[in-house]
Amino acid sequence: MKMKKVIALMLAAVFVFSLAACNGGGGGESSQSQSSEPTEINVCIASEPDTIDPALNSAVDGATLLAHLFSGLAKWEQDENGKLQIVADAAKELVEGVPNQDGTITYTYTLRDGLKWSDGKDVTAKDYEFSWKRAASTALAADYGYMFEVVDGYDKIWETNDKEEYVNPDAELNVKAVDDKTLEVTLANSVAYWNELLAFPAYFPVREDVVSNEAWATDPSTYVCNGPYKLASWEHNSLITLEKNADYPDADSIKMDKINFYLSDDANNMLTNFKNGTWALIDDVPTNEIANLKKDYPDEFFDVGQIGTYYVCWNINEKILPEDSKLEGAEAETAKAEIRNAVALLLDRNYIVDQIAQGGEIPASSFVAMGLTDADGSEFYKNTGVSKDFDGYFNTSADALDANFASAVETLKKYYNYDESTKKFTNFPSMTYLYNTNENHKAIGEYIQSALANVGITLNLENQEWATFLNTRKQGDYSIARNGWLADYNDPISFLDMWTTASGNNDVQFGKGDNANVAIYNLDLTDLGFETKVENGTWAETYDVLISTIKSCTDNDKRYKLMHKAEDMLMGTGCICPIYFYTDTYMLSKNVKGFFSNPLGYKYFMYCTVEG
Amino acid sequence: MNSKMTFYILKRIFLAIFTVWVVITVTFFVMHAVPGGPFVGEKATTPAVQAAMEAKYGLDKPVMEQYFTYLKDIVTKFDFGPSLKQRGRMVIDIIFDGMKTSMVLGLIAAGISALFGILLGAVAALRRNKLIDRIIMVITTAFVSMPSFIMGSLLLALFAIELQILPANGSTPAGLILPIVTLALYPMAYITRLTRSSMLDVLGQDYIRTAKAKGVSGRDIIFGHALKNSLIPVITYLGPMLAYIVTGSLVVEQIFAVPGIGRAFVSSITNRDYPMIMGTTIILAALIVIMNLVTDILYKLVDPRITLE
Repeated sequence: MKMKKVIALMLAAVFVFSLAACNGGGGGESSQSQSSEPTEINVCIASEPDTIDPALNSAVDGATLLAHLFSGLAKWEQDENGKLQIVADAAKELVEGVPNQDGTITYTYTLRDGLKWSDGKDVTAKDYEFSWKRAASTALAADYGYMFEVVDGYDKIWETNDKEEYVNPDAELNVKAVDDKTLEVTLANSVAYWNELLAFPAYFPVREDVVSNEAWATDPSTYVCNGPYKLASWEHNSLITLEKNADYPDADSIKMDKINFYLSDDANNMLTNFKNGTWALIDDVPTNEIANLKKDYPDEFFDVGQIGTYYVCWNINEKILPEDSKLEGAEAETAKAEIRNAVALLLDRNYIVDQIAQGGEIPASSFVAMGLTDADGSEFYKNTGVSKDFDGYFNTSADALDANFASAVETLKKYYNYDESTKKFTNFPSMTYLYNTNENHKAIGEYIQSALANVGITLNLENQEWATFLNTRKQGDYSIARNGWLADYNDPISFLDMWTTASGNNDVQFGKGDNANVAIYNLDLTDLGFETKVENGTWAETYDVLISTIKSCTDNDKRYKLMHKAEDMLMGTGCICPIYFYTDTYMLSKNVKGFFSNPLGYKYFMYCTVEG
Repeated sequence: MNSKMTFYILKRIFLAIFTVWVVITVTFFVMHAVPGGPFVGEKATTPAVQAAMEAKYGLDKPVMEQYFTYLKDIVTKFDFGPSLKQRGRMVIDIIFDGMKTSMVLGLIAAGISALFGILLGAVAALRRNKLIDRIIMVITTAFVSMPSFIMGSLLLALFAIELQILPANGSTPAGLILPIVTLALYPMAYITRLTRSSMLDVLGQDYIRTAKAKGVSGRDIIFGHALKNSLIPVITYLGPMLAYIVTGSLVVEQIFAVPGIGRAFVSSITNRDYPMIMGTTIILAALIVIMNLVTDILYKLVDPRITLE
């Protein structure tokens, strides 16, 4: 009997203790900041960033942190009407370039007065010169070093011989600090998105003595920056805290005193913390919750445009003609392009977007994404010129579904046997669809599988773990694969130059393998005043030439027309089957005002205020 | 007896080192055989950048050479190298950071589960078939059969969303309460059941009956004879459990956003962060080997009848 009492008492004590512990834990967390006290916001955009060295960063979450920590020559800002614009930051103004005789263009920037590093030292033009040269150097070998491709001298630095050795070890970027306040940079030719590049993290300044310590960007004690915020603390894998930098010249306009970036990439965990009010912004939501969230949090769920395209790519060398097909050489290749384009019409993109992806994505029928602007500032993808009735290369609206389907079947009938009774093709070779392991990609793969099975085409599904998948796709070891591309800057070239023969992102294998000798491509630029005219050339003789023409073109209107031609060529191969344009989905507490994000997905909290 | 024990321990230590070496070797070569590398991303870098990065981290050398360099650095300098993904950070620092949290979490959870497990198990055994036994058994059955991701999600829904008395992320001390409870419930339930059946077994032994016949008090029988002897199976379970729980449970760390070693381990593999994969594997393997060794030695201390081979 005694024993029972003792145990009962102990159990009671335990429960009381644990309840007390629960209450103690909760109390501290739920305190809200008052208007008189320093303002503070808790957000979660991703897990631990790979790096917050501006030159080395290549991730969107890292860029968000860097946009708060550093001040480049330019920055993103939202005007009173909510329109995004690029404005001068460390530079007094964003000047016009002065053309030189050799076609290069020189920009001379004057730095604002009173620019300070977070350790009190002055920011000089020399720091910018050093940082840009460092970011573009072979020694640093940064992922985004190519963002300096537009600057004169970059090509020389990276020029290699057959043995992959650098030919010009002494080559330098053409950027020079004339004095402490004046920075002179020369571009190889005019670049429409130059100001946007100035606001890109790779162009942010760092100081030579700071970065000589290779681990400088991993600890607040060695982290020296020049932006609106300082790195106050960093508990790895847990929390990064930024505090307002009083020395920042525009410090008065910075409303938020402290930003806590919680480091997590689990969408469910993020949602829990949003629902209980701990985090005011979360940058990811579980896909299967989206339908509910839209209903339950209409004012707090956001899906905004992002300049990227989710698509399916074909391996151009995949044999897709029937085994007994008599077509050979150029004829066979032309037929394959027609077949691939027909298959693209079999898919119902509205179903994919509404029922599977659910994040407000936009059905796509062009590769260059929505959000990228044309020469006149209108949407590039609306100006493909195929038809006035729809945007892009085919009609993605629900009304056009039947017509698309019928035309696809008509095309395919030219090459395959069609059984009128079952309404299925009987001799389409079976193919495999490769995707990286992910529920969403799988669901889309299954939809494509069923859509093709509907007309008798067998598509097997195969999934691979991410890094393996990337490798397989790059090697061209697949027939059809899931793919996606998010641009780094608002210029269609960021979608087009990845398909040159030698590009590392040429997953389709244009101009590689058997396709290297396929001479069916035409390029005629005479209408734009160029001499280039190639008939039945290879991919290297046409597309590669077109891309280098675009890159050296200084006439903006012509340049955009050339880019439309490039996309026409690309879409003509049928190897790119666009599915939808990406959106960025996030949840933002309705108490937060003054928040904005840019088309690249960077989130800005500096002008935020929290009500209530 | 003592020298035999020393010899045994030495032998086990040698075996432990051998085991860790095998783990290092297998992991190293399997890791390099898996397609994809640390510098392959969605956006391809140029071959020149790729080559520059590989040269910087010595990945351009033959795999055999890399293997021996790695072994040499580990043995002579205890140097696990830099992380390839988190630029500028050393693997040992990342592991240390993660282990700190996972250790705290794991040790508290293990302590709670052992304490309450044994207590509840003993109560259930002593009150066999009574109401309290039934209640304990029903509850523990539920806990044992519930996977941690369900238990974790339930606790989150209740305490973090409905009642809002506990945070849902493990970046603060208060945020560690829910993950600790989630981690502890399964082993606690398991230990309870283990203790109960083992205790029942012991209580039926002749020497207990003898003690009762001799008039030894109930308390002395339970604490002096029954409990101690019924702990042997519990200890067998405790060692590996401790290793498992301390090295971090990926699921629990993921659900509660706890900055532990489990998450670091899994992401290192996805990232092909070679030095990170090696570092975490070695540390985790060493921990498990050590825990097993400690368990075997504890065995001997609890029950002298067990001979160590």
